[in-house]
Amino acid sequence: MVTEWAGELRDRLAALVGAVDVESPRLLPGGASKEAWAVDVRTAEGELPLLVRRAGGGVIHTGTLSLEHEFRVIEAAYAAGVRVPRPYGYIDELGGREAFVVERVEGETIGRRIVRNPELAAAREALPLQLAEELAKVHALAPGAVPFLRGRDVLDRFEVELDSVAEPHPAIELGLRWLRDSRPEPLAPVVSHGDFRIGNVVVSERGLEYLLDWEFANVGDPREDVAWPLVRAWRFGVDDRRFGGVGEVEPYLERYVELTGRPIDADDLFWWEVLGNVKWATGALTQSRRHLNGQERSVELAVLGRLAAEMEFELLHLLEAVS
Amino acid sequence: MKDRPSAVELVEAAREFLEREVLPTLADRRLRFRALVAINALGIAQRELDSSEPDVLTPVEAAELARRIRAGEVPEGSRALLEREVAAKLRIASPRYLDRYG
Repeated sequence: MVTEWAGELRDRLAALVGAVDVESPRLLPGGASKEAWAVDVRTAEGELPLLVRRAGGGVIHTGTLSLEHEFRVIEAAYAAGVRVPRPYGYIDELGGREAFVVERVEGETIGRRIVRNPELAAAREALPLQLAEELAKVHALAPGAVPFLRGRDVLDRFEVELDSVAEPHPAIELGLRWLRDSRPEPLAPVVSHGDFRIGNVVVSERGLEYLLDWEFANVGDPREDVAWPLVRAWRFGVDDRRFGGVGEVEPYLERYVELTGRPIDADDLFWWEVLGNVKWATGALTQSRRHLNGQERSVELAVLGRLAAEMEFELLHLLEAVS
Repeated sequence: MKDRPSAVELVEAAREFLEREVLPTLADRRLRFRALVAINALGIAQRELDSSEPDVLTPVEAAELARRIRAGEVPEGSRALLEREVAAKLRIASPRYLDRYG
């Protein structure tokens, strides 16, 4: 397939990476809200596999960063030594839409393979400490490097999102109610990844290679990121390994606390684990509405409307321990 | 009256076709995954059409309970009632998920 902006891209890549030869971009399957194109280029130094992320034609997902801001976050993370695919440049217009260019990396991203594949057993051993170390680096990013990132009251935001679904979900309401009644003292806000979990990391046999998917980056309480990989949905069926289906929580948390000095213990994460289940239950419902209202027709998004019940059940199960 | 196949039988026929004839021909792993999701969606529809289990809460009751909990007036026994409601939803949407709670 030859895209009408292939010539534009060639000129931009010549300027950004010194490309002397650019292969035709190949559209990779995935979401319609943001396209992913594989582009192989040759420079004076050799072959360079690139990934071009380009805005989709549909309505922009509310609550996520623009492509430009997402790119600026990746740049700031890369500059601070966080393991992210190398950023090459932001393109304000590529065939009439914004785009950015990063290194195209190899490795496993599918959660259910990361938690189960026998050849990744050593990676699973390494991941808890590696992820703690990487998260500590993310949380040490200078807010001044990403001044456009915003904080928000999470509970108010989930309530608004839940209302937008226009369907009663008393189980999620019960979770929100408990969260409001048991709210912990806040910790000082930090630059947060916003979707830090198995499924958004690239893993090789050595373990963690890269952190991906920065479009939910924000400034918030560090415990939201710390607890997000514990949410049962992100254990991909290996439920007894509470840390992302790959390991135990304690070594991960100890390493994070050791590196950051933040006073967080395993019990503190319970409130945030409940919050995570409210967040993903609500998120699954809003994703299904993207299909139902025509923003992005997709059977994957559609079924999430029914699978939200899994997170509702987990939420009620967690609340049983405190009722 | 309506002729056979019934709605549930039609959904089942479409699901079996995808499972037995389409899925084995798909090499692209992304496309395979989406086909599995589509098969799962038809499975949900089939179980719902086949189910005679009454809803634990009517839509009006669910909306009223949601409103009361939001307002901070949580009725006694809400958690246990909602667990029954959500378990019933899961028997349609994701029956094997319930096995994970032993």
